[in-house]
Amino acid sequence: MTNWTNLTPMAKIEVVVDGDDVPAIRDLFLDAGATGYTALSGVSGFGHHGHHQGRLLFNDRASLSMLITVVPVEKAEPLISGIRRLLDDRHGVLFVSETNVSRPDYFV
Amino acid sequence: MTTSTEHVDVMSERAARSEVIADVARAASIIGAYWPLTSFVAVNPLDGLTERSFVDAAELARRWYPAASHLSIDAYRAEHAADAITDADLDAAIADHLPEIDQQQPLDLGGVQVPVHRLVRHDLLHGPSRPARPSTDHNPTADQLDDIITTWCAAYVDEAHVPWSMPERDAGFFASWKATAVTDRRLAKVVGRDQRARLRDLPDDAASALFVAFKELGVADLERENALRRLLLRTPGWAAFAKWCDDWAPADRPGPRLRLVDLAAARAVLELLSPDRCSLVAPQHLDDELFDERIDALAAAFGPPASGAERSRLVDVVTALHPARRSAVWLAAHEGNFRDRILAKLQHTAAPDRSERAAAQIICCIDVRSEGLRRHLEGLGNYETYGFAGFFGVPVRWRALGATHAQARCPVLVSPRHEIAEVARDGDPADYLTGCSTTAGMHDAFHAAKGGLGSPFALAESAGWFTGPVAAARTLAPPRSSKDNATPSFTSSKGSSRWARRRTPPPTMPVIDHDAGKDLHAGLSLDERTLFGEAILRTIGLSDLAPIVVLCGHGSVTVNNPHASSLDCGACGGAPGGASARIAAAILNDVAVRRGLVERGIELPADTWFVAAEHDTTSDEVSMFDVDLIPEGLRPGVVRLAADLAVAGERNANDRSRHLPGAADRVRDRGHDWAQVRPEWGLAGNAAFVIGPRSITAGHDLSGRAFLHSYDASTDVDGVALETIMTAPLVVGQWISAQYYFSTVDNTVFGAGDKMLHNPVGGIGVVVGESGDLAVGLPMQSVMLGERRAHDPLRLLALVQAPLDRIESIIVRNPGLRGLVDGEWIHVVARATEHDAWTTRRPDGTWVPWQPADTTATTTAPDQISLEIR
Repeated sequence: MTNWTNLTPMAKIEVVVDGDDVPAIRDLFLDAGATGYTALSGVSGFGHHGHHQGRLLFNDRASLSMLITVVPVEKAEPLISGIRRLLDDRHGVLFVSETNVSRPDYFV
Repeated sequence: MTTSTEHVDVMSERAARSEVIADVARAASIIGAYWPLTSFVAVNPLDGLTERSFVDAAELARRWYPAASHLSIDAYRAEHAADAITDADLDAAIADHLPEIDQQQPLDLGGVQVPVHRLVRHDLLHGPSRPARPSTDHNPTADQLDDIITTWCAAYVDEAHVPWSMPERDAGFFASWKATAVTDRRLAKVVGRDQRARLRDLPDDAASALFVAFKELGVADLERENALRRLLLRTPGWAAFAKWCDDWAPADRPGPRLRLVDLAAARAVLELLSPDRCSLVAPQHLDDELFDERIDALAAAFGPPASGAERSRLVDVVTALHPARRSAVWLAAHEGNFRDRILAKLQHTAAPDRSERAAAQIICCIDVRSEGLRRHLEGLGNYETYGFAGFFGVPVRWRALGATHAQARCPVLVSPRHEIAEVARDGDPADYLTGCSTTAGMHDAFHAAKGGLGSPFALAESAGWFTGPVAAARTLAPPRSSKDNATPSFTSSKGSSRWARRRTPPPTMPVIDHDAGKDLHAGLSLDERTLFGEAILRTIGLSDLAPIVVLCGHGSVTVNNPHASSLDCGACGGAPGGASARIAAAILNDVAVRRGLVERGIELPADTWFVAAEHDTTSDEVSMFDVDLIPEGLRPGVVRLAADLAVAGERNANDRSRHLPGAADRVRDRGHDWAQVRPEWGLAGNAAFVIGPRSITAGHDLSGRAFLHSYDASTDVDGVALETIMTAPLVVGQWISAQYYFSTVDNTVFGAGDKMLHNPVGGIGVVVGESGDLAVGLPMQSVMLGERRAHDPLRLLALVQAPLDRIESIIVRNPGLRGLVDGEWIHVVARATEHDAWTTRRPDGTWVPWQPADTTATTTAPDQISLEIR
């Protein structure tokens, strides 16, 4: 069994949105006190609105992007409120999960 | 120690704050971003609304801005009177928008049976109409607060031309404004000193202040988005710039960043301080829908309804044709007329003879201004021309020799990941760079003195004796373009004296090879270079290469023109395209790249050389770059080509002179005239985007109204090239089309107004007059000639030659493109091959054969697609 004793629990927030909404999500992350995030552009797949084409040669905005951040649990709730409000009437999905990190000082 | 109640309060406040930030983004979603003038990019001002149909977006624009979304009904009627819209066009548009009227029984008016479509057409042609832009009431206090906020926005972003910097600029606009506003006398005059003092009690943080202000103003959570939209759209120009700062500005851009949340917070706080709720109240739309007047007009023209029931039916007819639909019908009729004419014209293709290898192939930008140059050049010799986005498929940042910053040279849809530096090819460029630095220093000092508070007076005294006559001379006798010097010099110029070396640029080259640079992002790896080379050749379907292949970018040399970059290449991020052409040529001349291309199935002839060039669209001169590198054996051909390009440029300039006011023989010199407000027409008139082989358009004069993107469906079996074209160049073309459209239908709201009254602000934009909102869009002189229009506001018509199922699948799997096509921001017509008939795509995804509305007009005057200024 994996030993988690030396790891610190945190919240992992993953958002898949239209390329045009990436700046708003990024601003919400940073405003909530996230110390960093990872962005994957050109995400392809199939979902609520049918097929989504992946990376296009000369348009970084037209495809979906995935943004991932990890924050202390107490920062997650306000951030989730903001993201849910943003996604109220637009495409996008939000995943929240518990995670554990080895370097908690990176995330606070 | 915090109690659990306090913890809950803190958490809910943080959550509310986060929701406020989200609401700002939602509120601003209907605002299109505005790019600074240094890299002016044509954008659709309603870009945020393209998920909706054009019709819905137009109505939202009327309500929220408020702005005109179409020409006035009178303007459409003038087009009808001038035969730019025929009765047949109008009938076709009526049938399309009101299909139900075909089934309806005629109305009994004055004892005569009148068909419904006749009533509708009469109402469109003669019925009373409301103004194009809705009239709304004005609140004087809100107007005063607009003036205050726009003044501070300008002061915040304008680092060079204000006598002092705003405090706390690094903390953002809201904090900086708040620190200043506590002593702002203009503010005290509007809201009173006591109210102004309340600023001290508000948080410095914009989102928190916004939350507090809305709480005190009693704005409920669910009303917040609309309230924010109303506040932001009090100053739509600054909101559009803030939108750019939030969504598009490069992270490393120097200078202050105006954020939407800061702008909204300042505006909400002003509302909180003001004596009445002036900005949050929705403006009252004052225009009458004129239903009664229109019913009366029909009754007067045809006779009174025979009964109450007939009157009810007449009311139904007029109500169904509500004002928004009336405008939509007229626009559809106008567009139908253009579509029918251009398709009729292109039905007859004359495939050029390709039995002999071309002497040269010239790949121009897809820009509508390339069309004339290409057409004239093709008539002068064995030349083939192609169209490709002017960054030639190499999305990079370009650092010119001696420049401190690199500039993106690609469409704004792409984030460049690589930087290409221009370096001296041999020798030390120190003397030249010193000369540049001295000149730049003098230029900066002169302009700093010009923009200072008291220094202009001293400047006038000390330098006026020199600058005054120079200004007069450049207006009365602008320097002539160097069009007579068409022969390229194959020797690199190196000044012998130090003075000459300071003034003469040394031979340079772009460093394309990543391994040659020291920076992680400098240059391109061999794989990347090969990929980009392959993309250029495959996307346009270029094969059977000529010995000389010219990659011809474009730019525009103009003076005293804040909107100069609007005339440069949109595909190069609002910069001239010469650098991109040089980079692409260097890649395709690279021996290692050519070896890599062979492995990918593309073998370039050993004797083919790529030459970079730039077309100055104001003077119609074409300059070639790096000609001293051209192999000896090809030089005679290059000399002939340069001479023919000079002739083609002259003929193209002659064509352009017919539409520009002023002396025809000075048309090529307008860019050098300091007083010229209209150095060229830019992309005015753009209306179509052709994707297909040149054989579709060869030999036809398209009057600079079409973007031309080369494409060969037979070499693109998997559709990758077509998908690239339709998701990038076509989208950029739609932005350009929409900017010209909206700048024409409402130049006050979506355009930049009168150039004569422009005052530049901080290198990012202009205001009309001494202060006010940032003027977005194109100046009036770019789309109007006095009271007459120089641009037909039509939505972009894409003509594609490719299998229909390929086109449809690309549209379906790209939601952004699909929104543009289904929402009728772009009309698509297509045919699989040149032997097939044109087919029109309807918004529901069905394809129907193209039928001209008026067969007489398209057969008797098929050549009439040139733009008449009226």
